[in-house]
Amino acid sequence: MLEITNLTVAYGPIVALDNVSFSVADGSITAVLGANGAGKTTLVRTISGLVRSRAGSVRLDGRDISRLAPEAIARLGIGHVPEGRGVLAELTVEENLRLGGLSRADRADRQAALSEAYELFMPLAQRRHLPAATLSGGERQMLSIARALAARPRVLLLDEPSLGLAGRVLTQIMARIKQLVEDRKLSVLLIEQNARSALSVADDAVVLSLGRIVAHDRAQRLASEEGLRHAYLGF
Amino acid sequence: MAIRLARWPSRTTPTLGRHLALAVGAAILLLLLSSQIGAYDDYNLAEVAIFVIAVAGLNVLTGVNGQLSLGHGALMAIGAAARLRGPYLAGATLALAVGLPQIATRYSHVFGGEEGLTVTPPGPPDWLGADFPPERWMAWIAIAAALVTIVLLANLLQSSVGRSFKAVRDHEAAAALAGIDVARTQVHAFVVSSACAGLAGSLFAYWSGLTAPAGFGVALSLQLLSAIVIGGLGSLSGAVWGSIILVIIPALTGGLASSLSLASSVANNLPLAIYGSVLVLAMLLVPNGIDGGLRRLLVLARTRWTGAPSTHKGVVDWDDPSGG
Amino acid sequence: MQRFIVLTLNGLTEGSIYAAMALALVMIWRATQVVNFAQGAMAMFTTYLALFSLERGAPYWMAFLVALLCGLLLGGVIERVLVRPVESAPPLNIVILTLGVLLVLEAVAPMIFGGQIRSFPAAFSIVGIKLGSLQVPFSAFDLFTLASVVFLMVLLLLLFQKTDLGLRMRASAFNAEVSRLLGIRVGRMLTLGWALASLVGALSGLLIAPTLLLYPTYMDQVLVFGFTGAILGGLDSPPGAVVGGLAMGFSLSYVGGYFGSDLETVGALVILVAVLMVRPRGLFTLRAQRVV
Ligand SMILES: Nc1ncnc2c1ncn2[C@@H]1O[C@H](COP(=O)(O)OP(=O)(O)OP(=O)(O)O)[C@@H](O)[C@H]1O
Ligand SMILES: [Mg+2]
Repeated sequence: MLEITNLTVAYGPIVALDNVSFSVADGSITAVLGANGAGKTTLVRTISGLVRSRAGSVRLDGRDISRLAPEAIARLGIGHVPEGRGVLAELTVEENLRLGGLSRADRADRQAALSEAYELFMPLAQRRHLPAATLSGGERQMLSIARALAARPRVLLLDEPSLGLAGRVLTQIMARIKQLVEDRKLSVLLIEQNARSALSVADDAVVLSLGRIVAHDRAQRLASEEGLRHAYLGF
Repeated sequence: MAIRLARWPSRTTPTLGRHLALAVGAAILLLLLSSQIGAYDDYNLAEVAIFVIAVAGLNVLTGVNGQLSLGHGALMAIGAAARLRGPYLAGATLALAVGLPQIATRYSHVFGGEEGLTVTPPGPPDWLGADFPPERWMAWIAIAAALVTIVLLANLLQSSVGRSFKAVRDHEAAAALAGIDVARTQVHAFVVSSACAGLAGSLFAYWSGLTAPAGFGVALSLQLLSAIVIGGLGSLSGAVWGSIILVIIPALTGGLASSLSLASSVANNLPLAIYGSVLVLAMLLVPNGIDGGLRRLLVLARTRWTGAPSTHKGVVDWDDPSGG
Repeated sequence: MQRFIVLTLNGLTEGSIYAAMALALVMIWRATQVVNFAQGAMAMFTTYLALFSLERGAPYWMAFLVALLCGLLLGGVIERVLVRPVESAPPLNIVILTLGVLLVLEAVAPMIFGGQIRSFPAAFSIVGIKLGSLQVPFSAFDLFTLASVVFLMVLLLLLFQKTDLGLRMRASAFNAEVSRLLGIRVGRMLTLGWALASLVGALSGLLIAPTLLLYPTYMDQVLVFGFTGAILGGLDSPPGAVVGGLAMGFSLSYVGGYFGSDLETVGALVILVAVLMVRPRGLFTLRAQRVV
């Protein structure tokens, strides 16, 4: 379980997260919604250790991880698909994927990670030995997600995974993630601009505005709340 | 690689008059000071003033305009400077700084070879009296030149030219979009800085009584560079601090080394070792230079005295909370 | 013609040494975006350590190994202790820091080892090899120089291209943040990058010492030539560094041989400026020109 308690983050005088608390149960998806600049990216970057919080804590199964280095947090099984893709453009597609699988213990398992990724993302298989710089925007997004999955995370932080992806591909990916949530008790924090589609796959949802939580409920219930939808979700 | 550390003091009343008043005040103080100290100290004072000119000029190029050069004079002549940036510029100018003394040595009939050319410094004028020390006269000339340079640079930097220097350093593409001719601005910065280097160079020749190619090699370029970083990148007062350090450390360490009874291999190299350590320590302890450090102290002191809560820790590090 | 062959072989040998220095600089540039001006001085220091070991009765190869391992250690320590704290400082600060390290090393070396010029033994004969009755202007030591540089480069190539460790190191150099998110201990990788680069630098110091003789600043020109070679190659390309270093070796040898040795550096300079006029970012630069 991922627990976030009284988390406050500031960039100098700009307070990006203000006393945020919620938790993500094992085997569930929580959508994080909010306007541009609401603090969604800041939230996942703080969980990953890339940004230091000013107050509050992040706990993974009861253990406070908020002072750990990003690499240590990643090693505990928190995968992060960063906003704007984050593929290593100078490395080949396969090298990117291998990096994801490095945390797996034995060689056969690493190989399995590769074949899994190529199975799910056909375009990547064809381009495995090309530098990632040659991929299209959507293909890079696929690579970034595939790389995170190859690490077999317990918690997955997805920062706008739909960016640049065709609807059908996104549906496929979300189906795969749903499956992992059910089979492996993966926890997912899903940031999306498209609130409607995020709420349709999520179990719970958190709505951020100017760094504060303005709503936190079951996804279905939020989707049906007229006033909230108009005020914050834009549909 | 934009260097965006330094901040120029954003004075609200940037007037030539104010700068002139400050300069006159400084001139009077320095004249009084130079009359009170001995010939050797006058000699050092002149050196500081000469360095101030060169360091301030280099600071305009590197600190204000963001170009790193390790001996740039002749490169400008070739016209390549404006196209190179970052380490490429550093590399080209480094090779140049190593190569130039060789050319001067090779064509010795023009440049006087390795021994260089002897320069006779002008003596003090008669009305100052026959026993007026020439070192003091040299110090006066150098101080006057340094103050004029500083006033001119200070005004330049607060003009639109100075602002375009900074704009190009901070964000080349944005500056270009705003209608600034980037290459031209960079060449301007080179010209200003080279003019200062030329002035300092000729004063230096008078001061040392000699101009030899080796004296203007990489070592000098590197010294000037370290002075601007230790003093404070992009600030004119930083140039003054850096020049003082540049003169004081060798003077102090030279004295220290000879006063201790050390083996000659140790004594001869102690000043260099200390100078190197000062560079390393300065970068680790006061990364914003003396000027930045003083400013920080000032901010601290002000919040301490007025009791006003400080909104952020310091000058630079608050915009990056992601400290690894 | 004979003269040309002599100069070419000489250029090849010296070029391989400059290539090693260039490669060391490029490895560090790629890892931490720092031009390590102390690289030459570090190699000078480790070569003095080799001489020190020799004088204490160590066998030649042992002394050789001592220098390489000390290079590894020195590079790692400098990165961890001095460079890491200023990681996010402006580039110029780090330049000054490495200059400070250079000065300290060049001052401390004569304090410990004495300042006089010393000779450094070569591993093999430096007299030209005899093929039948013909003596070619290429000695066993030249061959060793070339072979050891090539050998080390092949090892590095295998490390970076074929191993997981090499993959982690490359990822860390390209994008530290993304690498951290993948659980890579980036700090360790960068330290290791500096360490390996300094080992390569140390090799160049050992190989050129018999020719240049050993004194505290003997590596300064090797650094400048290596740096020029690295810039020629594009600074972030290891193959470019090797080609650039070799190009420096050849051109210095020809300029020195045909126009007089006092114009060697000027020749290097002319080449550099000429290349940079045509390609301001070197011959082999990997990344697309960054507009911003
Ligand atoms: N590195 C930074 N330095 C200063 N302020 C920042 C920084 N990163 C984010 N901010 C500010 O923090 C606030 C939250 O930003 P954040 O990126 O978390 O928003 P977001 O919800 O992800 O927005 P978007 O939907 O546009 O991705 C914004 O006001 C932003 O300007
Ligand atoms: Mg965002």
